[in-house]
Amino acid sequence: MPAVITANLPVFLIILPLIAAFILPTIARRQRLQENLLLVVGSLGLLGAGYLVYLVMHGGISSVYQMGGWPAPWGIELQVDNLASFFLLVVALIILPVFLYSRRNMAEEVGSREKVARFYVLILLLIGALAGMALTNDLFNVYVLVEVATISCVGLVSSRNHPLSAEAAFRYLILATFGSALILGGIGFIYIITGHLNMGFAAQELVQVWQYRPHVVWMALIFLLAGFGIKAALFPLHLWLPDAHSIAPTPASALLSGLAVKGYLICLFKFFYRVAVPFLLQELAIDKIMKWAGLLGIVLASLMAIRQDELKRRLAFSTVAQIGYLFLGASLMNTRGLSGTFFYLASHAVIKSALFLSAGMMISVTGKKKVSQLAGIGKKMPVTTAVFTIASLGLVGVPLFSGFVGKWYLLLGALDSGDFLSALVIIAGSVLCAAYLFPVVRLAYFEPAEIKEAQDPGIPQKLALVFLAVLVVLLGVMPGIVLELANRAALDLLTP
Amino acid sequence: MTSLILALMSALIGVLLILFIPGENKKLRNSMVFLSVLLAMAFSWRVGLMIFAGKSIGLEIELGRFVWSLRPDPLGAVFGLIASTLWLFTAVYSFGFMGNKERQHTFYAFFLLALCVTLGVAFAGNLVTLYLFYEFLSFATYPLVIHERTPEAMRAGKKYILYSLSGAGLLLVAIVLTYHQAGNLAFGARPILEGLSGPGLNWLLLLFVLGFGVKAAVMPLHHWLPSAMVAPTPVSALLHAVAVVYSGAYGILRVVYSVFGRELAGELVFSKIFLYFIVFTILAGIIVAIRQDHLKRRLAYQTISHLSYILLGAFTLTPWGLAGAVFHMISYSTLKITLFFCAGIISELTGESSISRIKGIGQRLPATMVLFVIGTLGMIGILPLNTFWGKYYLMKGSVAGGMWPLALVLIISGILNGVCFIPFIIKAFSRERTQPAGKRGFREYALFIPPLFLTITAVIMGLWPGMVWPAVQAVVEWFF
Repeated sequence: MPAVITANLPVFLIILPLIAAFILPTIARRQRLQENLLLVVGSLGLLGAGYLVYLVMHGGISSVYQMGGWPAPWGIELQVDNLASFFLLVVALIILPVFLYSRRNMAEEVGSREKVARFYVLILLLIGALAGMALTNDLFNVYVLVEVATISCVGLVSSRNHPLSAEAAFRYLILATFGSALILGGIGFIYIITGHLNMGFAAQELVQVWQYRPHVVWMALIFLLAGFGIKAALFPLHLWLPDAHSIAPTPASALLSGLAVKGYLICLFKFFYRVAVPFLLQELAIDKIMKWAGLLGIVLASLMAIRQDELKRRLAFSTVAQIGYLFLGASLMNTRGLSGTFFYLASHAVIKSALFLSAGMMISVTGKKKVSQLAGIGKKMPVTTAVFTIASLGLVGVPLFSGFVGKWYLLLGALDSGDFLSALVIIAGSVLCAAYLFPVVRLAYFEPAEIKEAQDPGIPQKLALVFLAVLVVLLGVMPGIVLELANRAALDLLTP
Repeated sequence: MTSLILALMSALIGVLLILFIPGENKKLRNSMVFLSVLLAMAFSWRVGLMIFAGKSIGLEIELGRFVWSLRPDPLGAVFGLIASTLWLFTAVYSFGFMGNKERQHTFYAFFLLALCVTLGVAFAGNLVTLYLFYEFLSFATYPLVIHERTPEAMRAGKKYILYSLSGAGLLLVAIVLTYHQAGNLAFGARPILEGLSGPGLNWLLLLFVLGFGVKAAVMPLHHWLPSAMVAPTPVSALLHAVAVVYSGAYGILRVVYSVFGRELAGELVFSKIFLYFIVFTILAGIIVAIRQDHLKRRLAYQTISHLSYILLGAFTLTPWGLAGAVFHMISYSTLKITLFFCAGIISELTGESSISRIKGIGQRLPATMVLFVIGTLGMIGILPLNTFWGKYYLMKGSVAGGMWPLALVLIISGILNGVCFIPFIIKAFSRERTQPAGKRGFREYALFIPPLFLTITAVIMGLWPGMVWPAVQAVVEWFF
C-alpha cells in the first residue's frame, strides 16, 4: 500500500460515506446505480476498516491523525487506536449486510421509489457520523457528530410510510434534542474548567483541577451521562426508543438498534475514561448510577419485552435491556468487565441487526406484525427463521454463540469487582431474554401453521441474513481478533 | 480418540441423514436411526473399555480463549455407556411405540441429537464443555417433551425449559466463579479447587448443586419432571428416567469429586445440609408417588426418589458410597426403563394410563406384567436383581462414613417402594376383566423385546455383580 493511502486511511473512512451521501441525490432516479454505489461504499468501508484494524494491531500507523497537518491544541486530532478501529470494524460489518438487505426492497417501506434515495442519504450521513464518533478526539467535534447522527436517525424514523412514523420521529426529536443540549452543557463545563477541547489536554488539566471544582465536574459528568443516556436509551431514559425503533423501516431499525445507540456509548466512554479517569468516576459516584441504571434496565426492560406482542417492539425493548448490560459492564471499572462490555457491544450489534432484519422480513412478507400470528413460519421461510433462531441463541448467551463470550467476560468482570448481585442479574437477564425470544422460535417451528403463503426473500436479502448469522457463530466459536481488540481497547482506557 | 469423535458424530450424522429422507420412507428412516445409534453405542463401548483399561484418550481445541475438551474419565465413560446402550433399546421400542403416529421425523431427529449431546455431557473434559452440552441437552429434548403439541404438553415444555435454563444460568455463575478462583476448569486427577478454603466455597457448592439439581430433580426443584411425563413413553423412559436426569446426577458427582474433591467437600457445612435435602427427596418422592393415580406420574415420582440414592452415595464421600452410587446408576437404569416400557405397552395396547382403571391387566398382558413385577422388585432392591447390590454398597458406604441413619433411610425407602407398586400388581392380576390378547405383529415384538432383554440383563447382573465391577472399581480408584 502506498504510504499516502495508509496514512490517510482514518479520515478516508469518515469521508467515504459523506462523499457518497453527496453523490446520491444526483443519481436519485437511477435506483440500480444507487444501490451498486452503496455496495461499493460498504465493501470499501469493510476493506478499509479491516486494514485499519490490521495496521493498529501491528503498530503500522501513527495513533494520532492531525487534520490538515495542524498539531493540537490548534488543530483537530483523530485518535487512531484500538477502540476506534474496533468500532469502525463493527460499523463496517453491520452496514454491508444492511445495504445488501435494502437492495430492491425499500420502495414499499418508505412509500415510493423517489423517497428511497433520501433514505439512503440519511443512512450514509449516519454512518459518516458514527465513523467520526469512533475516531474523534475533540470535545466539540463529538457534539457536531452527535447532532449529525441524531438528525439522520430522526429522519430515518420518519421516512417510514406509516401513519405513526411522524409522531414517533417527533417524540424522538424532542427528547434527542434535549439530550444534545445536556451534552453541549457537559462539554461546556469541561471546557470552562480545563480550557481545552482536545481530549488529551482536557484530561491532563482535569486531573489537576477537579478537586477545586468538584461540583462543576460532577455536573459535567452527570449532564454527559444523562445526555448520552437519552440517546443511547439508558433505562429509564429510553422512552422514545420502542416507538422509534419499531416504526422505522427495517434496515433503519437494524442500524439504529445495532449501531447508532452504540456510537453514543463509545462517545460516552471516551468522556468517562479518556477525559475523566476511573478514579474520578468512583469518587463522584457516577459508576454507582451507571450500575443501578444498568441493573434496572436489564430486568425491567426485559420484563416489558416479554409483554409485547408486536415483534419489532419486543426487539426494541430488548435493545433497552441489552444496553443495560453495556452500562453495567462499563461501571465495573476493571479490564475484564470493560473488554466484556466492548465484546458484548460488537456481539449485540451483529445479533440485533440479524434479529431486526429477519423479523422485518417475516413481517413484510406475511403482513403480520404480532408474535402470536407468526405460527408455523419456520416451514414457509426456513432461512429467515433459522437466522432468527441463531440470533436468539446468541442473545440468550448459549455457548458457541457470540453472546456467551461477552457474558462470560462480563461475569468475570463482575466477580473481579466482587459484585455478586450483578453476576446474578446478568444471568437473570439471559433467562428473561430466553423468555421473550424463544416463544417466537417455538411458534415458528412447533405450532401448526397459520400462515398460508410466504417464502424466503430474494438472494441479496438471504445473503445479508446468512452473513449476519455466520458472524454470530464465528464470534462465538472464534472470538479471536475481536476479543483481542476489545481487550486492548479496555486496557487503553483503564491505564492512562 | 477417533472413537470418541465417531461416537458423537455417528449420532449427529444420523440427524442430518434423517432430515434428507423423504417422510413416507419409514423403513429406511428407522434403519438409519438404528444404525447410527448402534454405531454410537459401539464407539462409546470402545472408548469405555479403553478408559477402564487405564488409557487416557481425548482431544482439546483452543478457540479464542476457551478450551473445548472431550476427555472422559471412568465416571464419564460409565455414564456414556449407560446412555448409549439404553438408547439402542429405546430406539427399537420407539419403532414399535411410534407406529403410525405423527411428526416422527422431528421425533427421531431430536432423539438422535439428544444422544449426541448426552454423550457430550458424559465425555466432556472440562466444565465449559460440560456446560455447553448440558445447555444443549435442554434444547435437544424440548421438542421431544412437546411432541404431542397439546396445550398440556406445551405447558410442560415451557416449565421444562424454564427450569432448565434457570438451572443452567446458576451453573454458569458457578463455573465462572470457579474459573475466577482457580484459573482452570479441566477435570484432572486432582480436583480443580484443591488447596482453596473459605466459607465462600459453601455458596459456590450451593450454586453448583442448584444448577445440576434441577435436572437431577432434587426436591424442591423437581416440579418439571412429573409434568414432562406428557411426552411419548420412549422419551419419558429414556430421557426422564435415565439420560437427562442422570446428566444432573452425573454433574453433581463431578462437582463433588472433580471440582471440590472429597476432602474439601467433606469440610463444607453445606455438603452436610444437602444430605438432609437428599434424604427428604428419597422419602418424600416415594410417598408422593404412592398417591399418584396416573401410572407414568407415579413412576416419575419414584424416579425422583431413586435419583437421590445416587446423590446420597456421592455425599457420603466414602469409596463404598461412590461405588454404590455408580452401581445404582447402572442397575437402576436397566429396570426403571423396563418399568416405563411396560407402562407404555399397557397404555398403547389397552388405552388405559391411570392405575385405578387397569384391573385385570395381568390376564390380558401376562408377559408384560411379569416384567413389571420384576422391575418393581428391582425398585425395592431384592436379590437376585442387580439393584440389590447398588443399595448394599450404598448402605455400606453410609455406615463406613459414620452415617448409619442413611442406611435406615434406604431400607425404609425400599419398603415404601413395595407399598407403592405391590397393591397395584395384586390388583392387576385379580380376575375382573379378561379379554384375550390380540394377535402379535412387528409392533408388539418391537415393544416387548427391549424390556425383556433389559430384565434378563438385570437378573444376570444381579447374579454375577462382578461383571460390572471393573467399571465401578475404575471410577472408585480414579477418585480415591
